[in-house]
Amino acid sequence: MKRICSLILALCLLVPSGAFAADLFIAQAANFTPVMKEIIPAFEKATGLKAQATYASTGKLYGQIVNDAPFDIFLAADEKRPNKLFADGLAEKPFVYAKGQVVLWSNDKNFCGDDWKATVVNDAVKRVSIANTETAPYGTSSMKAMQAVGIWEKVQPKLVFGQSISQAFQFASTGSADAGFCAYSSVFTEVGQKGCFTVVDEAPPVVQAACVLKSAPHADAAAKFVKFLASPEVQAMKLKYGYK
Amino acid sequence: MDWTPLILSAKLAIWTMLLIPILASPMASLLAFGRFKGKSLLDAVVTLPMVMPPTVLGFALLVVMGPRGYMGGLWEDVTGNRLVFSFSGILIASMVFNLPFAVQPLRASLEKLDPRLLESAAVLGLSPLSTFFRIVLPNCLGGLAAASILVFAHSLGEFGVILMVGGSIPGQTQVASVAIFEAVEALRFDDAFRMSAALIPVCFAVLLIINKINARRA
Repeated sequence: MKRICSLILALCLLVPSGAFAADLFIAQAANFTPVMKEIIPAFEKATGLKAQATYASTGKLYGQIVNDAPFDIFLAADEKRPNKLFADGLAEKPFVYAKGQVVLWSNDKNFCGDDWKATVVNDAVKRVSIANTETAPYGTSSMKAMQAVGIWEKVQPKLVFGQSISQAFQFASTGSADAGFCAYSSVFTEVGQKGCFTVVDEAPPVVQAACVLKSAPHADAAAKFVKFLASPEVQAMKLKYGYK
Repeated sequence: MDWTPLILSAKLAIWTMLLIPILASPMASLLAFGRFKGKSLLDAVVTLPMVMPPTVLGFALLVVMGPRGYMGGLWEDVTGNRLVFSFSGILIASMVFNLPFAVQPLRASLEKLDPRLLESAAVLGLSPLSTFFRIVLPNCLGGLAAASILVFAHSLGEFGVILMVGGSIPGQTQVASVAIFEAVEALRFDDAFRMSAALIPVCFAVLLIINKINARRA
């Protein structure tokens, strides 16, 4: 037993911690993770610079940045936080790097007609998951869509709330909720492909903004990365994962 | 200020505390007196919720208690209601989550029982049932009290598991810990502070009351 423990400890110490010197540190909102994991190698190939991303919720990253975390660039899931950093003089002017779309996803093929409104008011659909309407941009957008078509009051008793868009998808993917307002990007995941979806056209696109931080230790690399984000190569990757 | 989440938390804590002995007592007796193969396995299974990350346990429960899970499917067939996202659902999750906190003190108090007491009772012709009520139970009140206090306090603070199987529905599954978390995320610090401030004296008062009752009993 003792031997095994020391072996495990030794192995833990040998595993590289990943915090090697990089030329660029990116703070990335978690919902964009699959795209970023493709963007980074392409960027490294194009520029020869080494980039490293930290994936967490927008709110957590914002908290770290305000407390002097040494990031160069912040890619958020909303516009609110980058705008606030800009207003407080901590960041350069924000720009839009991606737009997400709300879909109604279900793993029951019966619940994917052309009309998402009919699905959510359907009596066979007992529970509909949605991201927190106050804190998650996708939740706010889903709520606006329901309000726009006048079914918000009617659907409210069916709603279950995830703390994030990924939790809203979890509720729907486990079948605990019969359908869920999810991000278009979840449709492209392994689990997402097993279900079906309808695009919620009435939901305003979820605008994701980014900003270069004033305190960026690697301002040149950050500028190169911003330029790279606008390239056709990245555009194609975004489309592949359901972002515009 | 909205008292609903606080009341719901109290309701969940009290129900968990009242119901958990039904689940925990047999387990504790098995672990204290049982001589069988796989006892250490049972011990590990019972203690698992204590060491598992709450979100992992919550996700496992979501799968089992969902309409396609074994338990959730059965529940829906029998009652016609969905188990996840309901008060019954978070109560069951709360019992699973609290099991080790109730089993451990009960087990310890059972193991401390003097076997000679039980033997004398048997010799004097006391039936097993009255042995339980007249000897085992009075001697284990301390363990039961410790278990109750732990479970109550633990239920009030429970967050990760409830978040996973509850779905944060106001008035049904949005307990205080979830409401406070959401308030902080939404930058409503005043609400979060008020709810937290209200929770502390409530917890404190309940613990004092339970302690008082037990002091009198002992």
